[in-house]
Amino acid sequence: MTDLFEVPLVIRGRVVDDYSRQFPGRMGSHGFATADANDYIEQIVLNRPSDMADLYSISFDEIIEYLAELGPRLALDSNPHMHRAFELSRSTSGLSDSILRYAYETIPAAFASSETRRVAENLVGVDYLEGWVKVRDGVRVRAFGSRAVHIIAGNVPLVGVATVIRNALTRSDAVIKTPSNDPLTSTAIAQTMIEMAPEHPLTRHLTVAYWKGGDEVFEQQLYQPRHIEKIVAWGGFNSIKHISAYLQPGIDLITLDPKQSGTIIGAEAFDSPQRLQSVAAKAAMDVGVFNQEGCVNARVIYLVCGTDASGLEKARAFGQLLFDAVQNLPQSLSTPHKRFDAALKDEVDALRFVEDEYTVIGGRGNEGAIIVSHESEAVDFARDLACRVANVVPIDSVETAIKSVNAYTQTIGIYPDSLKDAIRDRLAFQGAQRLVSLGGACNPPADAPQDGIEPLRRMCKWIVDDTQ
Amino acid sequence: MKHYLSSLLADPKNFIALRYGEGFDIEDSELGEFHLQAAKKKFAGLRDKVKALKRLSEEQGVEEISCFDDLIRVLFPHTVYKSYPLSFLEKSRFDKLTKWLDGLTALDLSHIDASGCTSIDEWLDLLDVQTELRISHSAGTTGKLSFLPRTRQEAENVNLILRDMIRDWYGDDTGPDLIETPMPYIQPSYKGGYYTMLRGAELRAELFGVTDENSLYLYPDRMSADVCSLAGRIRAAEAKGESGSIELSPGLVNKRDQFIQREKDKKESVSEFFQQAVEKFGGRSVFLCTTWTMLYDAMLEARERGIDNIFGKDSVLVSGGGNKGYDLPDDWKEIIFRGLGFDRAYELYGMSEMMSGFPVCEHGHYHIPPVVIPFVLDPITGESMPRSGTHTGRFAFLDLMTETYWGGFISGDEVTLSGFDDDCACGRKGLFLDTAIRRYSEKEGGDDKINCSGAPEAHDKAIEFLLNAAQ
Repeated sequence: MTDLFEVPLVIRGRVVDDYSRQFPGRMGSHGFATADANDYIEQIVLNRPSDMADLYSISFDEIIEYLAELGPRLALDSNPHMHRAFELSRSTSGLSDSILRYAYETIPAAFASSETRRVAENLVGVDYLEGWVKVRDGVRVRAFGSRAVHIIAGNVPLVGVATVIRNALTRSDAVIKTPSNDPLTSTAIAQTMIEMAPEHPLTRHLTVAYWKGGDEVFEQQLYQPRHIEKIVAWGGFNSIKHISAYLQPGIDLITLDPKQSGTIIGAEAFDSPQRLQSVAAKAAMDVGVFNQEGCVNARVIYLVCGTDASGLEKARAFGQLLFDAVQNLPQSLSTPHKRFDAALKDEVDALRFVEDEYTVIGGRGNEGAIIVSHESEAVDFARDLACRVANVVPIDSVETAIKSVNAYTQTIGIYPDSLKDAIRDRLAFQGAQRLVSLGGACNPPADAPQDGIEPLRRMCKWIVDDTQ
Repeated sequence: MKHYLSSLLADPKNFIALRYGEGFDIEDSELGEFHLQAAKKKFAGLRDKVKALKRLSEEQGVEEISCFDDLIRVLFPHTVYKSYPLSFLEKSRFDKLTKWLDGLTALDLSHIDASGCTSIDEWLDLLDVQTELRISHSAGTTGKLSFLPRTRQEAENVNLILRDMIRDWYGDDTGPDLIETPMPYIQPSYKGGYYTMLRGAELRAELFGVTDENSLYLYPDRMSADVCSLAGRIRAAEAKGESGSIELSPGLVNKRDQFIQREKDKKESVSEFFQQAVEKFGGRSVFLCTTWTMLYDAMLEARERGIDNIFGKDSVLVSGGGNKGYDLPDDWKEIIFRGLGFDRAYELYGMSEMMSGFPVCEHGHYHIPPVVIPFVLDPITGESMPRSGTHTGRFAFLDLMTETYWGGFISGDEVTLSGFDDDCACGRKGLFLDTAIRRYSEKEGGDDKINCSGAPEAHDKAIEFLLNAAQ
């Protein structure tokens, strides 16, 4: 294996140059070599809670300044660590090079002081992070950081970025378990932090490691209440089910579990051809940005166009506009998928044998497809829609769309905004977690709750000082 | 072209009447030309009769088969026989399901009125009564069943091929002719049902002279297609952590009392089954036809009861089915044969969509009869690998034995195909597959097919779910 990438283990300001374990790549991608985390378990865990004290020797402003200084150093073209992470991701990620490059290029901006300060203020409250806040006479509250393991997702590199920022803002100690489809981005950030400020408390409270999820020997030692207080788990049902086996009193599990997102488009879209064109362009963003690799991407699109013959004609016309708009998205945001899901292709191919029920636009190769249902039902494989394949479902009334929302729904893009306002409470009752103007699904605000919870508050320990 | 091949070209069904062994004595140089001619003829014969084939060939611009690449372009994807929407079952739209099926068979189903059916079982019964079709189903990952539109005659031919194989595989007349000399028949499963293996067994029983007196089944009744579908849906939903999303059709809920009764009748029979097998057929030569996994479960149970060497030395076992989703210990075959007490076994690679199985030889190769034209496709591009050398990829084929449905199919299995320019060490000529076969969905770490008859616990769970839901 000549093309093994070396992925260093970073433990609290120290780079461990040990590459004794090899992990094969997935589906023809690069494998990589890294240290055997089992050999370093004693250093990876933070045994003494008092070791968190150094984080309180710095002010909140210093945290913001540190991050602001770090951001520009993460520029893809000037930072060799980031460049290596990008190179490895080109092989491991489902995103095409042009999209990956764009994603990496947006990383520095996430560290800007205006951005990070707003995140801290809106998601926790700077006062609570910085000191004891009086809530009434005698009662004061402060948000303290915690020792947490973060099992992050690798579908987009920004997950690791957000984790580093959140860890710093909450003055926490993070052990990031990297995913095999993006093993290097978080590591590259940690390496850059070490080069910038090796002794800084924020540098000294970040560990980035890879171990194979399910390594029970390692995980049993790691997930002990004396070592950690929180587990932040992104990702698939299996990984979350697996982690839940380690839960016990003293360990808090914060799940950002797999979700699906959708779209509801009201009859107003058909007011004029220009309007329909513009609605299709917006929906194309929700479907196609980052090649539909995110949980925020639209998959099933409910369209209030009627279900009679003329309704169906409208749905087909919209489907064609949407397909064209997806194909015309800029290369930095969306491309034909470089590893089109073969199982999905089989499902799409099968639809031509049931042409009374569906119209398929595209789907010949890896370009993506729009499947127009002829009845008010999504395709059976709606959960597996990916690689820029979306399903337009014609409906008579918005009620059908509302009923389709459940506990597995995350974002819903809605057109027009007046419809969003009218049905937002009901969508929330059903289980939806984020309601957004059509076209904005892939641009979630960093300073608002996520998946119906407030992960930053949950990452903190909320301590009460009660004078009676 | 030698006489044997011209005879198959005239009518592939002659494969049954001619000696089985002849099919494995064809020079590689002759096989290619025969395959192409036979594919050409079959396509020309079915193109205008099977609507789905006509549509696909029009889309692909294939008017006739002039080379193997033309054929590849008109093979059906493995999803074809379950391409209907699941809502047809959930909402009892059996009229629509019939119309969908009509596109996949050369038979005319336009006169069938299935609008009154309220369950899958009822629909299958209706087709049994009103048509020549004897549909069999398999279980898909989502609980959506594949429905294969095979006729009664085709189903019979499957069993005639099996008879030939048992008689002649190890040399002409080395095995019994199970039609001329019926043997007691034992099936550690349901007596019947529409599930592929059970449907085949049910039709075989008639042909092979199986009577109530000389047979034994684990469960004396038929397996419900509705329950099989529900079992699959539950497993799929659980695998995704979405158990809350299962909806039941009213037809299924209404039938719950029937299921309760069946469960009551069934429970005690596992222990009875083994006692009866020993008492009734102990020491006698019998015919067993089952999957390895079902047999392993049964023989493990036998071992726990201290039972071994159950049957006579001339017994016949036909098995296959890999070990789908099962983790078997290293000594699984020992456990099976110690329990059985004989070792005449025929192991086959096959799938419901194919009428002839591929028997394995003593050198560990599955031999492909000349009536199946195999291809190995690149799993990414779908293009055919050359018909020479040895290649690993997605298995696809044209089954020449089908008459009323298109036998061209792209499977979900990864296989290694050889034999174009070298023969197997066993001395048989022709093409063969390596025994290392796996499903692509397994390889990619996905959920595999749910083999519902091999997993009674899934079945029990479905019944339990149904009962809870009905309360």
